[in-house]
Amino acid sequence: MELSPHGLSAFRGLLRLRIKAAELPGGVGESRASHPEGFGWCEGAGKWCDLSLLCCLFAEQRQERGGRMNVGTAHSEVNPNTRVMNSRGIWLSYVLAIGLLHVVLLSIPFVSVPVVWTLTNLIHNTGMYIFLHTVKGTPFETPDQGKARLLTHWEQMDYGVQFTASRKFLTITPIVLYFLTSFYTKYDQIHFVLNTVSLMSVLIPKLPQLHGVRIFGINKY
Amino acid sequence: MATAAEQWVLVEMVQALYEAPAYHLILEGILILWIIRLLFSKTYKLQERSDLTVKEKEELIEEWQPEPLVPPISKDHPALNYNVVSGPPSHNIVVNGKKCVNFASFNFLGLLDNPRVKAAALASLKKYGVGTCGPRGFYGTFDVHLDLEDRLAKFMKTEEAIIYSYGFATIASAIPAYSKRGDIVFVDRAACFAIQKGLQASRSDIKLFQHNDMADLERLLKEQEMEDQKNPRKARVTRRFIVVEGLYMNTGTICPLPELVKLKYKYKARIFLEESLSFGVLGEYGRGVTEHFGISIDDIDLISANMENSLASIGGFCCGRSFVIDHQRLSGQGYCFSASLPPLLAAAAIEALNIMEENPGIFLVLKEKCARIHKALQGISGLKVVGESLSPAFHLQLTDSTGSRDKDVQLLQEIVKHCMDRSIALTQARYLEKEEKCLPPPRRRTGESRAHDQGGGPGCAAVGRVLGPDGRLPRGTRTGLWSLPCDLGEACVYLEGGHRAAWVWTAPNHEEDAGYF
Repeated sequence: MELSPHGLSAFRGLLRLRIKAAELPGGVGESRASHPEGFGWCEGAGKWCDLSLLCCLFAEQRQERGGRMNVGTAHSEVNPNTRVMNSRGIWLSYVLAIGLLHVVLLSIPFVSVPVVWTLTNLIHNTGMYIFLHTVKGTPFETPDQGKARLLTHWEQMDYGVQFTASRKFLTITPIVLYFLTSFYTKYDQIHFVLNTVSLMSVLIPKLPQLHGVRIFGINKY
Repeated sequence: MATAAEQWVLVEMVQALYEAPAYHLILEGILILWIIRLLFSKTYKLQERSDLTVKEKEELIEEWQPEPLVPPISKDHPALNYNVVSGPPSHNIVVNGKKCVNFASFNFLGLLDNPRVKAAALASLKKYGVGTCGPRGFYGTFDVHLDLEDRLAKFMKTEEAIIYSYGFATIASAIPAYSKRGDIVFVDRAACFAIQKGLQASRSDIKLFQHNDMADLERLLKEQEMEDQKNPRKARVTRRFIVVEGLYMNTGTICPLPELVKLKYKYKARIFLEESLSFGVLGEYGRGVTEHFGISIDDIDLISANMENSLASIGGFCCGRSFVIDHQRLSGQGYCFSASLPPLLAAAAIEALNIMEENPGIFLVLKEKCARIHKALQGISGLKVVGESLSPAFHLQLTDSTGSRDKDVQLLQEIVKHCMDRSIALTQARYLEKEEKCLPPPRRRTGESRAHDQGGGPGCAAVGRVLGPDGRLPRGTRTGLWSLPCDLGEACVYLEGGHRAAWVWTAPNHEEDAGYF
């Protein structure tokens, strides 16, 4: 679904009065600058939490984001790892993959629904931990002489800029999955322990304070 | 599927929600708040917080004065007063319209104006044109390139070779292709500028050891070993390299390769050998310093040389094991991102290789001539010879510096000019003073060029020495010089009387080359 620039600016026009430019989530700075009137005159309007506006902003970001990653061409992206999670269609693929995992687990006979949900959650979080927070470096040679050799994929994303759209998405997804899992396990205690530990193992490495931190030297080199 | 007790009827699920334990719901509440906080946080770069206030930034901007685009330089700057060469820089070189004996070019084997080489280049020019108009990856690979790579690999007895189109770029691209951030390179202090640029581009940790001092290198390697023992996990991902030159351009000395190979196996480092001056010079068949010392070529991980000296072509090559050289086909920046070597130069290099392979005797002749020249140049007051007797490129350095580098440079320039007036073309060794890591003292460089022609043709080498007590130039003093005809065309004359001057040359027509000063 493509939102045309005109539709977007019209929609934005309706919400202009409620926005204070500086308070908005970043990554939309480019579109702000391109807007002819800017938002300077909105000072004092206060921060306004409008869900529809947020959706609109994310969609805008997605437009700018999509299709930037050129694989196998002579591109100028020094480390393509930083832009993978911004590519067109990857968020949807990711969600669908979780769905696929869940459906596959559901097809196993004699496994109850709460167990399936817990398994989905655990497998998803384990996979996320391995791919985002354990594996370091790049599978290809980068022209920056190995700057990212000791960095995990999470640390490489967007060149270390915190709270970009992809990072937020990847933080929120395990939380949403956790909510669903808690619901479907009927808030059982054992399931709670397993799921919560797994969720913490995936949320804590994503904190900006833990950027580049290796506890007890694990996974340092 | 599920048992009756575990049916997920929606109503039951919602009921479970109402009966959920408090801790769980509190946790979920915290997580929802976390999500909301996330959605509204700004992106920021971790290290970018600058501690300057807006006022300080303004002040700094006010203070800044732009430097002139063209800094003021004196009229005597060498870049503004260059000598113009017309014609080929072979044994005789025409500098500023004056014919001189060429002691400035690195035409070691005299292949520059060899008729066979020229014919091969012309034939290739007629077949391919002049340039390739493309890097190796984009239709810039011609059969002559593959041919030359093949021939070089066979000549050096390695598995594979790779060609670069610019000699400086060869070693400067090879080093950063293997050595990255976090790796350690042990390099000699007297390494040439190309190696220094390669090391700079590699972003690795550089450890310099004293020139040709194996004890110093061993000390550094031992220190590194101790650090590795403290942190074995880091050591496992750190690569170690030793970069040396076979024949150093800056000092004319040969590296002690047998000790280096021993150190390599003891401390597990890889050796990169830069053989620009020793390729086609050292060794029985001209294969370089490995042949000179009788070391198996498999002990050296990478040999890099430029073809601009002995092979009298342009460009450079690296040779070694296949899996080492293949890596450079994608990671060698000078290979992937520069146009490939013009085919006529590749054909010239192939022909030069042919000549080298057919007449292995020329290397012996070169060695003899080098030794003779070195001997003849000893004992000049004021100048000392820096370099081994085997080296065709050596330096004449002032024994006592005048105190300031500029004065030294000026004095040497006068000497060079004086020699030019006497038809001997010498050059000062030039350095980018601000860019060199360890700047060598000012010196004059002599390149011996030996030609080997079967019929005793004009193999000519002449060296002028200008002497004076305390290294001063003799001005206005009449000094005579005689040439002694001799079968080999060799003459050595000394003149007494406060000034010693010696001309040593081997030329059949020495009358032409006799010099007076």
